Amino acid sequence: MSCSTLRKDFPLINRIQGAYLDNAATAHKPQAMLEAMAAFYEHDYATVNRGLYAAGEQATAACEQTRARVAQLINATPHEVIFTSGTTQSINLVASSWALQHCRAGDQIVLTEAEHHANLLPWQEVAAKTGAQLVFIPLDRSSLQLVDATPYITPRTKLVAVTLSSNVLGDVWPAGYLHACIDKAHAVGAVVLLDAAQAIAHQPVDVQALNADFLAFSAHKLFGPTGLGVLFAKQSLQETMQPYQRGGSMVYEAHFDHAVWQKGPAKFEAGTPPIAAIIGFGATLAYLQKTISWPAVQEHETALCRQLLAGLQKLPRVTIVGNPAVIAAHGHLVSFVVAGIHAHDIASALGSQGIAVRAGHLCAQPLVDALGFNSLVRVSVALYSNEQDIALFLQTLEQTIGLFTNILEQP
Amino acid sequence: MSASLYQENLIEHFKYPQNKKILEHPDFVVHEHNPSCGDRVSMQGCLTNGVLTEVGFQGSGCVISQAAASMLTEHCLGKDIAAILALSADDMTALVGIPLGPTRLKCAILCLHALQQGLRDYLKQ
Repeated sequence: MSCSTLRKDFPLINRIQGAYLDNAATAHKPQAMLEAMAAFYEHDYATVNRGLYAAGEQATAACEQTRARVAQLINATPHEVIFTSGTTQSINLVASSWALQHCRAGDQIVLTEAEHHANLLPWQEVAAKTGAQLVFIPLDRSSLQLVDATPYITPRTKLVAVTLSSNVLGDVWPAGYLHACIDKAHAVGAVVLLDAAQAIAHQPVDVQALNADFLAFSAHKLFGPTGLGVLFAKQSLQETMQPYQRGGSMVYEAHFDHAVWQKGPAKFEAGTPPIAAIIGFGATLAYLQKTISWPAVQEHETALCRQLLAGLQKLPRVTIVGNPAVIAAHGHLVSFVVAGIHAHDIASALGSQGIAVRAGHLCAQPLVDALGFNSLVRVSVALYSNEQDIALFLQTLEQTIGLFTNILEQP
Repeated sequence: MSASLYQENLIEHFKYPQNKKILEHPDFVVHEHNPSCGDRVSMQGCLTNGVLTEVGFQGSGCVISQAAASMLTEHCLGKDIAAILALSADDMTALVGIPLGPTRLKCAILCLHALQQGLRDYLKQ
């Protein structure tokens, strides 16, 4: 496979005038997904898990096929795959259905300084409700890589909830540190949740190799539909968890005064699921399985990151916020600031030229604050990005910085 | 590009802000910030018989947030409380003079929120 040939499979990416470089926020969709969702609504529409009619049976089977494809993607078994609305809900589900039952005053929940709000705020809530304490694995301020996590994990640690890849800095785990962190967590009897929201579209994610207990990601960052996410939860843990929501589909038997839940994953999937999204995501996964290889994706994306770094390093006023060596070796995004020019002004100017990048605190405000910034610009690539996208971005950024410099420095 | 993105007037207000000062005896002081981008604006004012007779702002952030604050102070000086409280996001867009999407609109109305909050605080006293 070559990444240059699969760009044609993403119709909107081909039509965009400019460059789409906000892939860490959301990724574009392959034709296969669009066709599957349209075909479902046009020809095969029905609900799941109920209808004793052909379309209902087909829809149910199609959704379960997606569950099996997800399981294959992350090397899990299908009954360990819970459909949610996204990474945020996946993590909130663990906070509500597992952590609130298992955390007590004095327990510790270990996070990193590099977490997205979605893997921070739910744990603040758990801490407030249970009296558990949050502990943060720090980033070394010069390398912007995490320090050795093992001293932060103690017999009081109940949960280690960490990102596989930061949405601000990219990879933050020095080689071997993540595995050491997970091993230590298990050695003290803690449970490990991995936030794979960023990692899932850029590297193989294998829950068995990682030895994860929980793992969360969103479909829309992996070229699937919005409104759908995945929570991988080990079966043994599912049995100790309360339902997240109560209602249709998740009940085994209901009486006027009590009810008995289904076993997982149904126990955690109350209500009618986003059927079209699940079917669409199945088509995306089938497309990816047929088309890509992760080593080729990584080679392609890191080459684009090297082009980005080389270009940014030549521009006046620009400071890269990240570790260039790590980004060059296995990155998919580059964050930066431009001295004297606010990130919103840069992103707006680029946006007016059709170049989509992200600006702000990137939903990681404590991290951005801790690094001494209030706003960053982030450029993020995907497997369909190409050298022309990066070249156009760099050229437009250079012009933008020049224009602002003229405006601001003219009397 | 600069012409289409930011009008000269806006740039002028960013570079040479009006009423960017600290008042000695303000009747109100309100700080506002935009959590998504770190723009900060604080507004101070003095009122005489319900009219804004002195106004000052401080702040840091993008061109639009800071230029809008400058433009707003100029616009509101000498106006009465009711007229300032009646200002809407649309009025702010008109004042800034360029079309703003929902994200940049937040930059432009940060100062308006601060000023109007200050007046409401004043009325409560």
